[in-house]
Amino acid sequence: MERHSETSAPDVPAHVEFKAVLLLILMTGLIVGFLLYVMYARGVFEDTQRLVLIADDSEGVMVGMDMTFSGFPIGRVTRVELGEDGKARILIDVPEKDAKWLRTSSIFTLERGLVGDTRIRAYSGILTDPPLPPGAERTVLRGDTNAEIPRLVATARGLLENLETMTASDSSINTSLDNLQSATARLNGRYGLLGGALGSDEEARKVIAALDRLNALLDKTDRRVFGQQGVMDDVQASVRQVNLILSDVRNTLKNVDAVLAEAQAVGANARVATEDLGVLRAEVEASLRSVNGLVDEIGRKWPFAGAPKEIELP
Amino acid sequence: MRSSHSLYSKPRQWDAAIRRELASWWYLALFGATALVMAFSPSTYTRANRIAVATHIYTGTWRILPWFVTVSALASLVLIRIVVVTALSYGLSQYALEMMVRVLVLELIPLGAALFVALRAGLAFNAGTLPQAPAGYAAPAAGIGAVPEVVASVFSVLSLAMVSSALVLVLAYVNVYGLSPWGLVDYTRTVGRIFDPVVTIGFALKTVLFGLAVSVIPIAALLELARRRRVHASTMQPGAVRLFFVLLLIEAGSLAVKYI
Repeated sequence: MERHSETSAPDVPAHVEFKAVLLLILMTGLIVGFLLYVMYARGVFEDTQRLVLIADDSEGVMVGMDMTFSGFPIGRVTRVELGEDGKARILIDVPEKDAKWLRTSSIFTLERGLVGDTRIRAYSGILTDPPLPPGAERTVLRGDTNAEIPRLVATARGLLENLETMTASDSSINTSLDNLQSATARLNGRYGLLGGALGSDEEARKVIAALDRLNALLDKTDRRVFGQQGVMDDVQASVRQVNLILSDVRNTLKNVDAVLAEAQAVGANARVATEDLGVLRAEVEASLRSVNGLVDEIGRKWPFAGAPKEIELP
Repeated sequence: MRSSHSLYSKPRQWDAAIRRELASWWYLALFGATALVMAFSPSTYTRANRIAVATHIYTGTWRILPWFVTVSALASLVLIRIVVVTALSYGLSQYALEMMVRVLVLELIPLGAALFVALRAGLAFNAGTLPQAPAGYAAPAAGIGAVPEVVASVFSVLSLAMVSSALVLVLAYVNVYGLSPWGLVDYTRTVGRIFDPVVTIGFALKTVLFGLAVSVIPIAALLELARRRRVHASTMQPGAVRLFFVLLLIEAGSLAVKYI
């Protein structure tokens, strides 16, 4: 205790009060400046317009997080609340100087990645559309990587199970590979591809025997058909005879043609005769009419006057 | 320091030791409250007290400010560089700035300032330059003699923390964006996002509490020693363990409020 009591009254430095006041003023200025800077940074001095985004799930959305447009922050989440319809309402303040980027046709997305925080993004495709009015409510589209993971895992599990089934010892692929192996062994065997295609060397041997027989048959046929005194010689002779017959037929047809020409001439003469008969009949009719007129004339003369008699034509 | 070893005593003496410890904490709280009330009472600031406060501010802040700012700036620069380079290599540079501000400005700088002031007080105690509790100030109500020192210590912690924080904010900007002014809007937005009202108030409250702890606990321990008329046999500053415990408690509480 004694060592402290020796120095209980420290020396007072020169202008100590001035220096202390100066320090106080500097610190107060620094604190006030820092507070003003933080307030400016938080947009306290900016005029803003409200935008309400409606989402099914507001997980990951925090007060103070940014809404970006083309990578630039243009708005800040000020509140997240649960609406009357059970949907999350994300209230965003957009500074009026940045509100020009939001149009009535703008789309808003809420994206959650595997790493990093949730992001709210705005997309304005047509910047000539009318500006987004203050207090507008828009539904936000969600792009959630985490939500995709369970589906991905389920799909991957199914895929792995299929793969396991495929690679099992009694799987179809293994059986097919075994079959392929036996087929290739047969291909490498005595009868090659034929043995592989037919299944066994026995069958291949039968086919080859059949082919041999077929070859012998073809040889025989060739001799019978195309050889001396074969079928083809007879056919050739027959064709020659047919040619002769055909020429005879042609001559006969020529004769028939002449006969027909004669008959045609006879027919023409008969037609002329028929026409002459018509003229003759007209002349007979004229003569009859003259006789008829003469008889009528005689009848009207006395003593033959009486009831007129009609002359009947034959 | 018999009381600090009381827990190593026999089990039948534990009751008395616990009671003594509780009484000690009560004395500390009472002294802190009294000092706070007196610090906010205009009648405390008589001519003599004003000079005393000014002297303590001069010795406790004016003199050490350049050194502390230089040391903290260098340490911060190293940390900022490490964080920036690591974040860049992992492709997480967008989070580097926020992390630096949160770690350095909000946590390490205030804690460093408080520890620096506490360390300086400890060194002063060991050198025999710490003012001893005057005779007759055994009771907390009579702690008026320590008010200038309490006020100066709180101011010292606040000043060191604020100046260093401001400097670290500038250093972080220069490290990330260089001397170009085009990152200012983005940087301001990041700072605005970090310093929401809860964080800002928590930061200020934590720094003030650090200052109060650093100033009140050692003086209260000294006064208590004088009251019990015990001789401080150790070279360690009285109340140092309690001070570090309280600092830890404040820091843990602050972290819990902010991040849990």
